[in-house]
Amino acid sequence: MKLPQKRKKFLILTLAFTLAFLSILMFYEPSDYLSEADYNKALAPRVLYWGSQGQDVKNVQWQLVKWKYLVGKVDGIYGPETYRAVRRFQAKNGLKVDGIVGPETAAALGITLSEAAPASAQGLNRQSDEYLLARCIHGEARGEPYVGKVAVAAVVLNRVRSPQFPNTIAGVIYQPLAFTAVADGQINLTPNKDAINAARDALNGWDPTYGALYYWNPATATSKWIWTRKVTLKIGKHWFGV
Amino acid sequence: MERRRWWIAPSILALALILSIAWGYREYQTRKQLQTTLENHYQRIFFDVKKHVENVQTNISKAMAANSSERNILLLSEIMNEAYFAQDKLAQMPIPQSDIANTQKFLNQAADYSYYLIQTHLEGVPLTKEQRGQLASLRDNSAKFNEELAKLQSDLADKNFTIGSMSNRQTARIEEGNENVFQTTLVNIDKNMADVPRLIYDGPFADEMINRKAVGLTGEKVSREEAERKVREFFGGNRVKRITAFEEGENIENVRIPSYTFSVQLDNASEDRATYIAVSRQGGHIVWMRNPRAINNEKLSIDQAQEKARRFLEEKGFDNMEVNYHQKYNGGILFNFALTEENVTIYPDLVKVKVALDNGEIIGFDATPYYTSHHERDIPKPKLSLQEARAKLRDDFEVNSERLAIIPKGKKEVLCYEFKGTHMNNEFIIYVNAENGREEDVLQLVIDENGTLTF
Repeated sequence: MKLPQKRKKFLILTLAFTLAFLSILMFYEPSDYLSEADYNKALAPRVLYWGSQGQDVKNVQWQLVKWKYLVGKVDGIYGPETYRAVRRFQAKNGLKVDGIVGPETAAALGITLSEAAPASAQGLNRQSDEYLLARCIHGEARGEPYVGKVAVAAVVLNRVRSPQFPNTIAGVIYQPLAFTAVADGQINLTPNKDAINAARDALNGWDPTYGALYYWNPATATSKWIWTRKVTLKIGKHWFGV
Repeated sequence: MERRRWWIAPSILALALILSIAWGYREYQTRKQLQTTLENHYQRIFFDVKKHVENVQTNISKAMAANSSERNILLLSEIMNEAYFAQDKLAQMPIPQSDIANTQKFLNQAADYSYYLIQTHLEGVPLTKEQRGQLASLRDNSAKFNEELAKLQSDLADKNFTIGSMSNRQTARIEEGNENVFQTTLVNIDKNMADVPRLIYDGPFADEMINRKAVGLTGEKVSREEAERKVREFFGGNRVKRITAFEEGENIENVRIPSYTFSVQLDNASEDRATYIAVSRQGGHIVWMRNPRAINNEKLSIDQAQEKARRFLEEKGFDNMEVNYHQKYNGGILFNFALTEENVTIYPDLVKVKVALDNGEIIGFDATPYYTSHHERDIPKPKLSLQEARAKLRDDFEVNSERLAIIPKGKKEVLCYEFKGTHMNNEFIIYVNAENGREEDVLQLVIDENGTLTF
């Protein structure tokens, strides 16, 4: 007996779909699904924020002036006017209103942010330190009060100065097993304004921890060893120690 | 009909199974490839650490055998390099920090110590007996370190151990026995390193520098209530609505400037933005204060803000402070004030003041450097005249301004002539020792609209 035409068609279709689905799985490049989750990107995207300078800022300002969000001159310095204009633009266009020009806001503005750091005296500036530190703060201490954010950055800087730890900011932050936010990729989230401000305050010398080298959250700390540290101060949810 | 359809479902399943096996195998292959790449990287680092430590050991032996200070300087700079390399690479291994803290310290200090000895050689001072003794001890300890690493290397060659497997914290702890030979060896090395005699020298990583106590705090110990009173006084005019002390650990007295830390709610601040302030236990001085409120309207000019900052410092009893640099960020402007005595700028005694550019309020204050180093100084008379010091500079260095300044040099402070100027379109500050004419330091300045950064 013959199979009804409909059923046959259905079967073949199912088979084809299964095959197609499985072959998609098979040829799916592993590197692709890394970029699926926001924070699994190998590097956080370049962003512009209060204090940024250069051609990219000019492009943003030019666009904002054109669309009447910004009244003022295009000077290439991300100041308060630009900040407020970006916020207005973000609010109008249903973007997250944070005053930071990240990939989404840049796309909505119709511009692409260049990869290179803004030009200054032969490339000498503090922005890469600042931004890396801000990412570390954002990954490690998003929910903390402002002083707790600066404290985390201060611990990183204290470690750089300590002989017991690596001697660069990146060395300290990326030391294996040192920070959980680095291990699980949360460090690649785009930092918010508070994190960037906290990084700047820490780089300008504010150390609310009085020289602490360690911090831990008593609710989530898994290492028993951490409790053998000399405990000095509690800031937000974190205990700090030397 | 029944007879012809039975094979359809199983064959779909079989096909699905084959495909998922193929997919799984592919995943497995990729994982293995990544693992091997990572493992190769770790192996490279491990072999490098061994090699660098070996080079430290042999170069110290050579330096002790060599007689001329030229050869010694070359050997010492090599020791410095090799020790920093070893430390840098060791810190990249997937080992808990606590297991290699002392080893890292040993390597960093070995490098720092070499740099210190290079400086003494350049100053023409021969090595003392103590310094030769310390070098010998460094050599012996790196030899021991090297031996342990060699043993570990041959142990690892016999076993099928991968360094990469260490990076998983849980398994590293659970898997006892043979596999852990790697970690136990490193822990043992680290224990030995903890007993290494302390290096006595002057450099940024020296124990004495790290454990330095603040010398600028005057007065009796104050109680928490007293400190709270100081905070209210600092803000003045009943501005403090609420004041909460931070919870403290038992070792709060172990820090450089033991302090009470408070979170303060000011009358004009929004409820979710606290101001933070620290009061030293000794003397009840305000060590730092920071009000992280948002600033939207920048109205003040830099000069107006500077005037506010200067008046604030006078009010708080800091006399003879002179502004040196400023840095504009987040709607505020941070001024660096240094003490001046007898027309000499004393850089170690630094106070930072941050002014809000909307209403001129003081939103940040940090006197940590000041209280760390301030003391009564006997400022010596410069032995060199300004002209003599200036003659030490390059001919093509264009001087814009000059003055006397005291700068920190390790634990010590030195009196220098400070020359600000340009060379090949870059801005620099060059410090020439006012006593012996040595170029003590060269700083590069990067000046833009927001202020000055030094490198």
